[in-house]
Amino acid sequence: MRNIRFEKIVKTYNGDIILDKLSLEIPGGTFFALLGPSGSGKTTLLRLIAGLEEADSGSIFLGDEDITHMPIYKRRVNTVFQNYALFPHMNVFDNVAYSLSIRNLPKNIIEEKVIKILNTVHLDKHIYKSIQTLSGGQKQRVALARAVINEPDVLLLDEPLAALDLKLREKMLIELIDLQSTLKTTFVYVTHDQFEALTVADHMAIMNHDGEIEQVGTPKEIYEFPVSSFVAAFVGTTNLFKGELHIIDEQYRIEFGGLGMFEVVGSKDKEWMRNGNTVFMSLRPEKIEISKTPMTGFSNTLQGMVQSIVYHGRSTQYNVQLKNGEVIQVFEQNEEHFPQEIIDYDDTVFLYWQKENVVLLEK
Amino acid sequence: MKIKEKIKNFIAENGSFIFSAPAVLWQVLFLYVPFFLVLYSSFKRVADSSLHDLTFEHYATLLNSAYFYIIARSALIALGVTILSLLCAYPVAYFLALKVNRRWKNVLLFLLTLPFWTNFLIQIYSWVFVLDYNGLINMALLKIGIISEPLHMVNSTYALFLVMLYYYLPFMIMPLYSILEKIQHDVLEASMDLGATHWQTFRRITIPLSMSGIKTGVFLVFVPAFGEFAIPAIIGGSKYMYVGSLVSHYFLVARDNQLGSAFTMVSGLVLITCALLFNWLCAVPAQVAQKEVE
Repeated sequence: MRNIRFEKIVKTYNGDIILDKLSLEIPGGTFFALLGPSGSGKTTLLRLIAGLEEADSGSIFLGDEDITHMPIYKRRVNTVFQNYALFPHMNVFDNVAYSLSIRNLPKNIIEEKVIKILNTVHLDKHIYKSIQTLSGGQKQRVALARAVINEPDVLLLDEPLAALDLKLREKMLIELIDLQSTLKTTFVYVTHDQFEALTVADHMAIMNHDGEIEQVGTPKEIYEFPVSSFVAAFVGTTNLFKGELHIIDEQYRIEFGGLGMFEVVGSKDKEWMRNGNTVFMSLRPEKIEISKTPMTGFSNTLQGMVQSIVYHGRSTQYNVQLKNGEVIQVFEQNEEHFPQEIIDYDDTVFLYWQKENVVLLEK
Repeated sequence: MKIKEKIKNFIAENGSFIFSAPAVLWQVLFLYVPFFLVLYSSFKRVADSSLHDLTFEHYATLLNSAYFYIIARSALIALGVTILSLLCAYPVAYFLALKVNRRWKNVLLFLLTLPFWTNFLIQIYSWVFVLDYNGLINMALLKIGIISEPLHMVNSTYALFLVMLYYYLPFMIMPLYSILEKIQHDVLEASMDLGATHWQTFRRITIPLSMSGIKTGVFLVFVPAFGEFAIPAIIGGSKYMYVGSLVSHYFLVARDNQLGSAFTMVSGLVLITCALLFNWLCAVPAQVAQKEVE
């Protein structure tokens, strides 16, 4: 499968710069997620691959082929649109068969392929139904079948599950993963929902509000080792602290909020990790232990008061107010029906974490 | 309190009847009653003959090729105007609905409806000044030197055609615009994305999705154009007779209400046949497609 490569793509819209010299390589044959907030230009990026938009400058390659100016209908790229964009005057069969009938394939081949793909997406009972009578999930499957029947090199999905309810969304995510591993087509999945992106993607790219790529990597890399506070905060939940770095005898410590010094893991190779520099620290809520009694074996400790408790079912979120007034979030798994220690509002608690579970960030 | 409840219940139970009654009454009084009066009148021997003195003689009179030509001429003109206005209106409506941005759209729609602010007769008469021997077009062409003698334009079939096209064009644009505006842009994008060219997208998606607008426009233009009498009277002169002019002639000039009624009935029948034929033509592609699927 061929890679998709953006080289210094510039795209403006009514004078606003959406993408400014963006470069990115999407590995072929993978499930790739483009994650970013609304207005980050991720849909624009997708539409550039589809050919629905044309770049002001820069190039897009599919493998070695320059597709920057290739007409949309010649690209071996198909799209699942956000609102499905099904043809309302056609039934399920005709919608799915559209790209084949455009190419004037023989009737029996079209029929064979359509039936096969409708089986794959579990729509074989609704072949001749009118589009209007389908449910949201069924419409989604028609859109999917219609886009993959022509065996494109790349399948683009523009927030395809946004209109579905949570349960159905989770189910469709699994089906999408299965479909991708069956077809081996490159899937490019645009979403602002980090849960969806983390679930489906082999690789993902995070875009910020300015249309820049902040980080590219596997979901695990992105979640555990974000490269910026934007990524740390956008993907999942985190506690961010701004502080000053102190390096004494190759021991890295960060001082923040008048709360004292905390051990971190640093590296000599990083130019910005110098003594006295202002840096950020990201500490995920689930990496913190919470207890009313003092514990040993942790590199860092903080004390605070429980301000509020949010029960999530599988976990409980404690919002703990620190001495300087800042609030830190802590997640605890609800492992037992009857926990030995019950933490309540206004309890004074100790927070513990290991220095290896903290990420230092330049910005 | 109880009466209030009763009225409420009555309205709730008979609401659809109550609220549609005025429209139905209007239809009955001003469409069906006159229709049957005209039908009846077409069978009466003379205007003041007795109730049972009915005859087919007026219809027999109409079995004359002159009348056939009048109806055929009207139908052809109406057909021509309809087709041409459809061809002219579709691109206008298409760009207005799908390509022009919102701000300009409103301005252009306003300009489109501007002629309706003027009296119909003034609209038509102003064309005489444009097309006349010493009208605008001839003056301009003479000035430039393209022609040495003024062109004869008024009282020609071309002029009639042109003015009818001018007058009926908005009636075609409006329904087309309103249906094309409802087309979701991403549906057209999806078609291109699936490998269809602009032309294929237009043929397979845009036209089928705008079919109901085409139908409405065709009826809005063809039906009145078929019976049009003011425009032929003003622009077309008295060279040829049209359905509208003949009907008005019988009722207003010759005062032969019986023959006029019979002619109205016959031309009406032709019109309905045309409408049904058109309806059937529109339904054929859909049926063929359905068969293919089965």
